[in-house]
Amino acid sequence: MSLLDIKNLTLEIDLASGWVKALDKINLVINEGQIHALVGESGSGKSIIVKAIVGALPDRWRVTADRMTWRGQDLLTMSASERRKVIRNDISVIFQNPKNSLDPLLTLGEQIKELVPTYRLESFWFWQRAAEREKIAIELIHKVGIKDHKLCMQSYPHQIANDVCQKFMIAMALVSEPKLIIADDPTRGMEVTAKSQILKLLSRVNQVRKLSVLFVSHDLLAISSMAHYMTVLYCGQTVESGKMLQLRKRALHPYTQALLDSAPSFRKELPPKSPLSSLDGTIPTLQHLPIGCRLGPRCPRARKECVVVPAVRRVHEHYYSCHYPLHWDKK
Amino acid sequence: MTDLINVENLTFVNRRKKARLFSSAKNFELGPINFSLKAGETLAIVGANGSGKSLLAKLLVGLEKPASGHISLNGDVLTKFNQRQRCFNVRMIFQNSNESLNPGITLGGILDEPLRLNTDLNLLQRAAKIEQTLQQVGLMPEHQFFYRHMLSDGQRQRVALARALILNPQVLVADEPFAALDPSVRSQIVNLLMNIQRDLGLGFIFISHNLGIVRHISDKIIVMKGGKIIEAGKTEVIFNWPKEEYTQKLVHTHQALINRQVT
Repeated sequence: MSLLDIKNLTLEIDLASGWVKALDKINLVINEGQIHALVGESGSGKSIIVKAIVGALPDRWRVTADRMTWRGQDLLTMSASERRKVIRNDISVIFQNPKNSLDPLLTLGEQIKELVPTYRLESFWFWQRAAEREKIAIELIHKVGIKDHKLCMQSYPHQIANDVCQKFMIAMALVSEPKLIIADDPTRGMEVTAKSQILKLLSRVNQVRKLSVLFVSHDLLAISSMAHYMTVLYCGQTVESGKMLQLRKRALHPYTQALLDSAPSFRKELPPKSPLSSLDGTIPTLQHLPIGCRLGPRCPRARKECVVVPAVRRVHEHYYSCHYPLHWDKK
Repeated sequence: MTDLINVENLTFVNRRKKARLFSSAKNFELGPINFSLKAGETLAIVGANGSGKSLLAKLLVGLEKPASGHISLNGDVLTKFNQRQRCFNVRMIFQNSNESLNPGITLGGILDEPLRLNTDLNLLQRAAKIEQTLQQVGLMPEHQFFYRHMLSDGQRQRVALARALILNPQVLVADEPFAALDPSVRSQIVNLLMNIQRDLGLGFIFISHNLGIVRHISDKIIVMKGGKIIEAGKTEVIFNWPKEEYTQKLVHTHQALINRQVT
């Protein structure tokens, strides 16, 4: 059963030049117990999708969707307080920069204890509750692999190393026993060993607790090591989505192929110091979005038809939107 | 062939913070560090956070003063008396290219500064040099009238590179030049750096966490931990036969990340 089902999510932002579609018909389905990766470069709207899911967008932006449901409940039509309740209980977000998203004036212990929901406390008397909160917090901190819980709970966010902070954020996300964890670029700027620890932790949480994870990142190496399913975004459009293995074996969209080619680790036959293949240009800004397929100006296979937005096509469970996908050459 | 840059027994002790009576905080000590680099070679510095990688880069360009040891360029020891030579020949690309560019002046102004301070070129010659360097890194001459906020990440990185290249240096030191870049832009910058290195015969020293790129473009690797070099050698050797425990862990995790397939 799908947990989160988003169909044709469109977000319009009011700029000086008029309303601009920051997200254009995004489709995203997250099933239970699945690690879903959302890949895209900066400015492709990954973080905006995360914010749209949890409802943290400014009111003046227009969000429309054909369908945006959380386990059958429609998220867009429900009242703000109801939505808040759903998100409090079922969805946790690990934000991009752990140090900036924690309160600098409170110790980490205070912050995690504050988050423990009352229904998890079993003791009847109020004076026992503080101790119980602490117990739950310490348990979680141990679970994410921080050994010295005392030091961690007593310190302020600035006193802690970045990767420990990230683990602590995961512990905080687990406090409310959610069904879905959204990890927004959790491995940014980390070295390999710390990164692989965080990834292992997330996949373990996924296996042990049957949690779904929406993993937002642009680090393909990290993603391909753990995700089951991948959606590629470019400039607010879903470009391709499908099973990780299929996508890596045979990407259909030129952009996905370019992303895969840009990581030298994937290509063992590549001689050292040879030029990497890359797309020309950079991501366009919101003020200067091209019409039709937004990859158009950078795409090596672009033709006349690409000024029309390509419809979503499907090969088995593999969705892509391109007028001239890569597998057409081989015919 | 003599070494382009040669570092011998370089050490550094952080003396700024006064140790209080009861504080257990120890001063950070770097070194001793030894390595050498030939023209046209690429050296990668790998290590955990807080292992002194950035500090080593700063020592190389002269932003920090070493406690002992010396750095020699083409056989000449760099001291405060030949600061000018160092300014010309060892240039740095900073970690955060976005914040290392002055938001208040145009790119032309940013690129003009090193020329004005270090050379005797007149206005016209400087303008010509700026245009030429901008084109060299794949930007247009019109970009000199732009401000920082008008550019994308990749373009900013190109400007940082242009600022480093404008004095025709022999050594380029870069502190995480690819970390903030997106994959497709990152390959562009990697290609650009490799092309420029091939054309100009630069020695290139860079710090990176991305072992895939390190393996791809570097000739030699230094692995640092806790301020010490724990392993150094050719890229192929380090990746295939790592000796130290920490290096083994690093390489194996990297390999595991590549090979791990989800079924």
